[in-house]
Amino acid sequence: MSDNILKIRDLDVFAGETQVLRDVDLTIHPGEVHILLGPNGSGKSSLLQAIMGVPPFRVTKGDIRLNGRSICDLTPDQRAALGFGMAYQKPPEIDGVTLTALAHVMRADATFATEAAALDMADFAQREVNVGFSGGEIKRWEVLKLFLQNPQFLLFDEPESGVDLEHIAAVGAAIERLARSRTANGAKRAALVITHTGFILDYVKADTAHMMVDGRIIATGDPKEMFEQVKSNGYHAA
Amino acid sequence: MNIQITQSPLSDAEKTTLSKVGYVAESERAATVVIADQEVRHISINDDQVEILPIAEALKKYVWVQELYFGLIDVNEAEEVQHLARSADTPVGHFIRVKAGAKLEQPIQSFCLLETPQVRQVLHNITVIEEGAQASVISGSSVADGVHTGQHTCLCETYLRERARCESLSIEQWAKDVDVMSYDRADVAKSAHCSSNKVMVSPVRNHCSRTSTTVGEDATAKDQSIVFAPQGTTRMMEGEIHLRGERAHAESLTRMVTAGGTIGNNAMLVGEADDTEGFLGCDGLKLTSDGEILSVPALRALSEKSQLSHEASVGMVSEEKLAYLESLGLTEDSANELIVQGFLNLKEQEMPAPVRETVKDMISAAKSGSM
Ligand SMILES: Nc1ncnc2c1ncn2[C@@H]1O[C@H](COP(=O)(O)OP(=O)(O)OP(=O)(O)O)[C@@H](O)[C@H]1O
Ligand SMILES: [Mg+2]
Repeated sequence: MSDNILKIRDLDVFAGETQVLRDVDLTIHPGEVHILLGPNGSGKSSLLQAIMGVPPFRVTKGDIRLNGRSICDLTPDQRAALGFGMAYQKPPEIDGVTLTALAHVMRADATFATEAAALDMADFAQREVNVGFSGGEIKRWEVLKLFLQNPQFLLFDEPESGVDLEHIAAVGAAIERLARSRTANGAKRAALVITHTGFILDYVKADTAHMMVDGRIIATGDPKEMFEQVKSNGYHAA
Repeated sequence: MNIQITQSPLSDAEKTTLSKVGYVAESERAATVVIADQEVRHISINDDQVEILPIAEALKKYVWVQELYFGLIDVNEAEEVQHLARSADTPVGHFIRVKAGAKLEQPIQSFCLLETPQVRQVLHNITVIEEGAQASVISGSSVADGVHTGQHTCLCETYLRERARCESLSIEQWAKDVDVMSYDRADVAKSAHCSSNKVMVSPVRNHCSRTSTTVGEDATAKDQSIVFAPQGTTRMMEGEIHLRGERAHAESLTRMVTAGGTIGNNAMLVGEADDTEGFLGCDGLKLTSDGEILSVPALRALSEKSQLSHEASVGMVSEEKLAYLESLGLTEDSANELIVQGFLNLKEQEMPAPVRETVKDMISAAKSGSM
């Protein structure tokens, strides 16, 4: 597959006046699932948000390319139209807008009806987006949201953190199912998943893991091996 | 039972106009009253626990109504009010009474309509929810098709007697060159509960409203207003809530959006008695560089055992919320619109579906500049 390759080259990103990413290189092919791990504040969420084009993150050096074409000047909705979608770590509350209403403007009423049940969120149809959601409910909604959006490039920011043991299997299974399914026109998807626990690896077969420390990717390798290494040795390159 | 008190039935055109501001088939309402231009056009009653009369008749029929007339509004409050109080004209308006202990199963609906261009409508309404009665009232204001000029002045005095409960929803849809002046007074007696929701989102030239509510011992008053001002609209609101009886409780939430118009909101909460509690919330969104929002929430404590608080904010649509919706594939415009719609969504009481549609349409139209 040479189609729709996401290539990040030599990337520097600032949040306001603060540099959060340095010299980041990352390539993701269709069909692949990559894991991103690293200590708190190392820049993992910043990378996902920079890919999605969410403020206040600004690319100051390097490039994010899709099939060779830079997407750095595109707005988040233009990136969404190209097939990017992100499950937020800390999404904002959208006051007064119910999940049903949002699903409706996304033209995903039918998908909402079927997928909400899989994530045990059928009762949330009339709740306002993220308003008063518990930590685990936010995560389930953010995953459900990607089903409604149906993107080819899936960005998950700690999808399992705060999710209870009963629901974590559902979240894991949902991510696996979404990542392994094909898009409407038959293309393979790809995913970049931030996780601290590696719990997700019980459900999702990941191809590669990247370790981020201080805004840089300092190691890339086999996901399970990398988690073992972090457990015994901390966040250091092997 | 079905008593038609006033003769003329509503025309289909009138029904269509009023349906956007809450009118539904009269068989589904405890009672209906419609005032068109300067006459009480139509009254129908389905529930004999409700009495509705033109105010002039009520004043003749019940001695005690005379006590209620200008019982809450000070005749010296404004020149215009003085003028009305001294006028030799027969007063026009409705008198609504819900009898003691009644538990109405259906809402009462009440409307005023401007049917003639340039008409001057001056109303004085009195509503009494008697001891222990429970009622809900939906009221709407509108103009007939094609009418966009006129004046509406309304004095409303509402009495909730002990242990009464009243929920109200009022929706106005005036027109771009209509001037509106309203004086609303409510007296919420001991252990009564009043909840009022107002939807003021359509264009109007000038709307000045002055409201004042007195809350008695162990009584509760809650209100929510959603206010929208497109270009060319000025809305000035002055509101006071007096926590007069011990343990009186009030909560007042106002959400304001300007898309080029001017909104002024002066809200004052006064804690007069011990163990009273009150909250004012005033939030504003400014969508364009034109227009203005002036929000002045004020707290005044006369009792040292009064707990009062307020929250106020005025700003643009949050960049973070916009980006969240855009990253779902919504364009900036539709993300903006969804956020504004949500911001102006009444929380507790559901708006009737046609009203919700009207509100949506008005906001979309104003934002796309077609108003
Ligand atoms: N808007 C911002 N302004 C300034 N600094 C920011 C901003 N957003 C993030 N940062 C900083 O950038 C660094 C990286 O943050 P980021 O959220 O990417 O970390 P993370 O790796 O996702 O951490 P965690 O595991 O705790 O989620 C942190 O030091 C953070 O404080
Ligand atoms: Mg993070």
